[in-house]
Amino acid sequence: MNALVIACHHLFRIVRSPGLILILLAIPLTLAGIEYAAFGPTVASGRLPPIKVLVLDEDRSFLAGAVPQLFTSGGPLKDTFETLAVPDRAAAQALFQKNDAAALVIVPAGFQQALLDGRRAELQFAPNPLQTFSPQIAESVLSMVTLIGNGLYQQALTPLQRINALKNSGRQPTADEIAEISRGFFEAGRRVNGLSAINNISVTSVRPAGQREGIGASPQAFFAFIFPGLVIFGVMFVSQSLGLRLLRDRTRGLERRVAMAPVSPATQLAGSFLFMIVGLFVILMLLMLVGAAVFRIELRHPPALLLIGAGFSVFAAALHLAIIGIAKDDRSASFIGTGIIMVLALLGGTFIPAEQFPDFLRRVAFVMPNGAAQQAFIDVLAHGRTLAEASTRVGVTWAWALAMLGAALVLSRRRAIA
Amino acid sequence: MLIEARNLRKRFGDVEALAGVSFHVKSGEIYGLLGPNGAGKSTTINILCGLVQPDGGEARLNGIDVVRNAVDARRLLGVVPQEVALYSELSARDNLAFFGRLYGLRGADLRARIGVVLEQVSLADRAKEPIERFSGGMLRRLNIAAGILHRPKAVLLDEPTVGLDPQTRASILDLIRSIATDAAILYTTHYLDEAERLCDRIGIIDHGALLVEGTLAELRTAAGEREIVALRGTFKSDAIPAALGLGAEIQLLKSGPDELLFTVTSAERSLSGLLATAGSFGEVREVAVKQPSLENLFIKLTGRELRD
Ligand SMILES: Nc1ncnc2c1ncn2[C@@H]1O[C@H](COP(=O)(O)OP(=O)(O)OP(=O)(O)O)[C@@H](O)[C@H]1O
Ligand SMILES: [Mg+2]
Repeated sequence: MNALVIACHHLFRIVRSPGLILILLAIPLTLAGIEYAAFGPTVASGRLPPIKVLVLDEDRSFLAGAVPQLFTSGGPLKDTFETLAVPDRAAAQALFQKNDAAALVIVPAGFQQALLDGRRAELQFAPNPLQTFSPQIAESVLSMVTLIGNGLYQQALTPLQRINALKNSGRQPTADEIAEISRGFFEAGRRVNGLSAINNISVTSVRPAGQREGIGASPQAFFAFIFPGLVIFGVMFVSQSLGLRLLRDRTRGLERRVAMAPVSPATQLAGSFLFMIVGLFVILMLLMLVGAAVFRIELRHPPALLLIGAGFSVFAAALHLAIIGIAKDDRSASFIGTGIIMVLALLGGTFIPAEQFPDFLRRVAFVMPNGAAQQAFIDVLAHGRTLAEASTRVGVTWAWALAMLGAALVLSRRRAIA
Repeated sequence: MLIEARNLRKRFGDVEALAGVSFHVKSGEIYGLLGPNGAGKSTTINILCGLVQPDGGEARLNGIDVVRNAVDARRLLGVVPQEVALYSELSARDNLAFFGRLYGLRGADLRARIGVVLEQVSLADRAKEPIERFSGGMLRRLNIAAGILHRPKAVLLDEPTVGLDPQTRASILDLIRSIATDAAILYTTHYLDEAERLCDRIGIIDHGALLVEGTLAELRTAAGEREIVALRGTFKSDAIPAALGLGAEIQLLKSGPDELLFTVTSAERSLSGLLATAGSFGEVREVAVKQPSLENLFIKLTGRELRD
């Protein structure tokens, strides 16, 4: 009972004097805000900014004018690309320099004629050397679309050649000839019926090899990738700050005064633990709600999110309770605490999601308490996995939480007895 | 007996903080534990409230052993620690509410008690302010309020008036007298006048030992009718006692290279002789004569003054 009184009392004190905690809470939100500014509101609304492809039309023909539609015609690709016609290579070069375009597609003179003649028609593709990822997407899409286009073209080659021959002869076609050409197109259309799949191309199918997961995998979930790491980072610092408050209570004789009341050391300890865990859990969940409201993160599988959040809250609380259990004073506690937080942040993939780590480091990250919790959040928020599917990482988080809780209890008890 | 200490002993490394201290306080009584810095006053209080385990001896509150049954014993107890221990970000009212809840006070009873106690320490008009803005005296008063809020049967006050102006001290002593009507009070201090004014019985403690104990009248008698003469300066002390012809009239209490302490039946008669003799063995720079009092008793018992 008194443990509850003590826990509520500490929480009430936080509400009365949030001080540093507000600043610490601002850290993850500010970092996310900076990314928001960098990638623009389009990302927040669930999309990456469009990839800009320049088109230089040196052929100035009807078919050449249709090339930009390779990127923008309908389907899921519609918003992924944006095309811009440039008058010459110099203009394209200038835009490349300003990092304002991902690639240039050149339609050389004679493009339409070559197609109509049934000869090889070539498009030239020039990636912007300053960028890596976007030009690859553009090139993949272009080659895939031309591959499909070539298939269609081969099917329609016979009627096309008839039209071309008629044009060269300079005479009017007979009704029979028109009927035959039409039948040719009709047959071609029948054969390519299965190719309606052209509308189903998505960016995910053209990811460069070796990037099976990651930020680029799902632009809709960009913040779902980066936000969990920032939240966990922030929560670790908030936890440190709460721990230091308790340590200051000790140096100011407040812990002793509570111990003079009819409160056993175990009760007081339970009150401190309860306060830290509940406080962190509430803060973590508030940050998630802010993430949902501001950065449009979809909070999927709430039970899974609550379980991961609770596990990490227990871990972070226990970590800092253990630290103030062994530290002599404020200074050594914040020194040890900050050191541990920074090491965990680097290993666990706070700043760069561990999905992007090399294999060995990624494995290390996923066995770190913060790395496991962060990836568990990403699994649920970004990849839409269920609690069962994310259970390994949730398990790792809770294993750390319980182990650290045990350590903190032992260290705190030992100090109380001494 | 509400407060009982029997042969308490405690050692911190090389320091013998308590070397067998015994006393008891009954309800309605104010017991003063008078002693200089490091005498063992706080250690005694810490043992009584179960914060420090004694190496030997026994402490009971209303018959409950404070070591074996700490939480139960503490229910009866109100403690005012030597250092102000309050939550600076909270108001006076919220501080009291927390401590009240720890002792099981709730709801209307809690609110009523907070109101009463805030009146008693004259802080009712500042109840809602964060105590960060309080003066030292206000904090000390609130520190006391937090210790007596739950109507404890036994109250331990550890030097609650240190660093306060005379007016505030007087009002705090009045307050303590008023709560003593139905509680046993252990009051530690190193102010003689407080012990004299406030306490029904006084124990003088030094180096962890209770040197003497009794009512003020008893202690005055123990001090005897003799006066104390203190000579300060530089002395070749070894030779002086022999030269003085000590006897019933003049007794040497303490001799050192810079101080000589005597008890005399009449300072008027003995002073000129003492000065002449001491002067021939060194240089006298300062002379002090003290009437029989608690302070004299203290000096007689410990060989030093209380305020060092
Ligand atoms: N936790 C401790 N560790 C080591 N020594 C201690 C501890 N507590 C007290 N002591 C020593 O025990 C002796 C008695 O200390 P105590 O605090 O009881 O004195 P006090 O009478 O309260 O003095 P003051 O008037 O200065 O408050 C001192 O020599 C002190 O240094
Ligand atoms: Mg003391």
